Amino acid sequence: MKRSLMLLGAALLSAVHLAMPASAQNASRDVTIVLGEGVDLMEPCMSTRSNIGRVLLQNINETLTEFDVVGDKGLMPRLAESWDQQNDNTWRFHLRKNVKFSNGSDFDAEDVKHSIDRAMSKDLSCETPRYFGSTKITATVVDPSTIDITAEPKQAILPLLMSIVTIVPSDTPVEFVRDPIGTGPYKMTAWNVGQNIVLERRGDYWGDAPQVEKATYVFRTDPAVAAAMVQTGEADIAPSISVTDATNAETDQAYPNSEVFYMRIDQGKPPLQDKRIREALNLAIDRQAFVGTLVPAETTLATAMVPPTTLGFNKDIKPWPFDPEKAKALVAEAKADGIAVDSKITLIGRSNLFPNVLEVMEAIQSMLTDVGLNVDLQMYEVAEFEDIYGKPFAEDRTAQLVAAQHDNARGDPVFSMFFKYHSNGPQSGFSDPKVDQMIEEATAATGEDRAKKWSELFAYLNNDVVADVLLFNQVSFARVNPRVAFKPTIATNSQLQLSQVGFK
Amino acid sequence: MRKLILGRVLSSFFSLAALVVMVFFLSRLTGDPAALFLPREATQEMLDNFRRLHGLNDPLIVQFGRYVWDLLHLDFGQSLRQARPAIDVVFEGFAWTFQLAAITIALVSIAAIVIGSLAAFRPGGIFDRFASVVSLIGASAPDFWVAIVAIVVFAVNFAWLPTSGTGTVWHWILPVAVLFIRPFGLILQIVRGSMIQSFGSLYVKTARAKGVGNTSIIFVHTLRNAMLPVITVIGDQAAAMLNGAVIIETIFGFPGVGKLMIDSILQRDFNVVLAAIMVTALAIFVMNLLIDIAYAILDPRVRT
Repeated sequence: MKRSLMLLGAALLSAVHLAMPASAQNASRDVTIVLGEGVDLMEPCMSTRSNIGRVLLQNINETLTEFDVVGDKGLMPRLAESWDQQNDNTWRFHLRKNVKFSNGSDFDAEDVKHSIDRAMSKDLSCETPRYFGSTKITATVVDPSTIDITAEPKQAILPLLMSIVTIVPSDTPVEFVRDPIGTGPYKMTAWNVGQNIVLERRGDYWGDAPQVEKATYVFRTDPAVAAAMVQTGEADIAPSISVTDATNAETDQAYPNSEVFYMRIDQGKPPLQDKRIREALNLAIDRQAFVGTLVPAETTLATAMVPPTTLGFNKDIKPWPFDPEKAKALVAEAKADGIAVDSKITLIGRSNLFPNVLEVMEAIQSMLTDVGLNVDLQMYEVAEFEDIYGKPFAEDRTAQLVAAQHDNARGDPVFSMFFKYHSNGPQSGFSDPKVDQMIEEATAATGEDRAKKWSELFAYLNNDVVADVLLFNQVSFARVNPRVAFKPTIATNSQLQLSQVGFK
Repeated sequence: MRKLILGRVLSSFFSLAALVVMVFFLSRLTGDPAALFLPREATQEMLDNFRRLHGLNDPLIVQFGRYVWDLLHLDFGQSLRQARPAIDVVFEGFAWTFQLAAITIALVSIAAIVIGSLAAFRPGGIFDRFASVVSLIGASAPDFWVAIVAIVVFAVNFAWLPTSGTGTVWHWILPVAVLFIRPFGLILQIVRGSMIQSFGSLYVKTARAKGVGNTSIIFVHTLRNAMLPVITVIGDQAAAMLNGAVIIETIFGFPGVGKLMIDSILQRDFNVVLAAIMVTALAIFVMNLLIDIAYAILDPRVRT
């Protein structure tokens, strides 16, 4: 009897042992990626949302074109081999042949047409239309491998915008799907909601086979746990760990995450209508003092709403110097001219936006108070914050400084400038006809002229309008298992292409 | 007994209905789900379209009427974020939370009753000292800190257990252990106090005088009488756990209903919030009913 019990015990133990999770650290070509934010939807037309895009974009569903955010290749072909402009409004895309979806159906122009119509449909709440604004897009099939796409009014960056529209088969219903079918190198083979998503490599992919055979995505809100998972070998890549956990030079690396942290100046209320006060705000903040203390040492000072890798980025603009004496003098000068410099300015922050955000906000409040401004700090959770950040602004508000982050890893300022600076922009804190005109002209321009026009706009906003208080180009930290070759980039925040992951 | 159950069912039904009305209107007073679902740069047309698709343009009272009507047909509506029935989303989360709560409360109850009884039998003895230390730790150590330390020690340093997640029996050990500490300390003290009181009672003295053994005195004579306050506290603790162990779920990546509820509130996914509240409220009601029945079984006075 005793022997039987021992045998049973041993059998149970061995069964349990066998059930231990397979460590990611083995010789296989599988990887486990631990992400900070769960995925609630696996809908291709929502892949511009970072939590969805990181799993889905270019892994499962591909686009006609692809922008090289990291290098200097610009706009690259993906499902379209080439494109040319037919007239002001219409571009013709020549599609790649012999491409199959993961359900076995052939890819052709009908799929592209359906994907565009579906993404822009009023029966769905896709994110795609935001990038097109009021532009109406019509797709016309020329032949199975050729499609004309027409924009009304004309859209100078139509081929770039096609890097956002994910392609789905023509029989995909016009409702949100949870089992995406695409032409990409991977297909989704399991989704245990809240636990993991599994992608497996396709044998019939049209392009080069990536090295990773199977990728398992798991979700951990606490960055310390994500870091521990890579350390113990349970995971291979944690794209976003906390700066305090990034202590191992062998596995941890900092990378710019394309987020710009800034404060929008509300020019609708006194005293912020006065340019001297806006200059004083900029001069009062010792930006460099934050770097390496409250924000990571790898953080750089922002001089535009977009990261430095963006088209037209103006390298001549320097960060505002820290000059509290000059700021005090400007405040005094404005006061002498009858400006109500004592009016309350509400500094608005968002809780949990990034580590130490509260301390950063308190330090900024203190620096602004030191130069003679009356600043009150309010922190809000995301829903209330979004209400304040977007128009319409409350009429009975006090003057506001809204500290927000903006992410543009898409290579062109058009995805930022209208929204943040145009009079009709939903988050613009001012109205300036010249800025409106400059945005409209740059949006319509192409080539070098486009870059020049954006560059001039950045300078005008910084020097003449003093539109906001630009603070930091934020960084993230990734932990990567030494067996894996992966370098996080400015694009990692929004997409994580498994084809860019290798093994050492 | 039937009257007792019927009374409880009726009063719980009214509480639940009041809760639904309150949460429905309060949740809609703060934040717009369209602004949260769509990106900041969404056009007005996109926002209008989203509100139209999800019936958010109608007056609140119309939305409420529609919600109640659907509810009467057992339709809890669609999750705005997950594009599937809200009740499916909630049941998935609740299944995890229920398992976690059931395992933890079962272990806590057994351990607390046994050790608490032994501690009460010899106050100042080894079990009593152990009980004091554990209670103190349970009451003073914050969950998130214990959880992180447990991961660092047992997963990172010793590599005995996985850091987090689900999948095998090993994944349950750390979350259950961390969740165990606080209620264990509390229930242990209640058992100890209640047992000490019972040991001093006349029926125990009578039993001793009759020569009844210690084990029998503790577990047969004293425990049943000492259990009434213990059951109340166990019930309270179990109810708290059924609401979701948010911190444990967050740190260990457990897809339970607590984290789901917090995420849904932040994202104003109204249907999921309401469904989650109803499911957990119902579970708590069922549990309270079970406690009442247990009371009635243990104490004949309650039945009358």
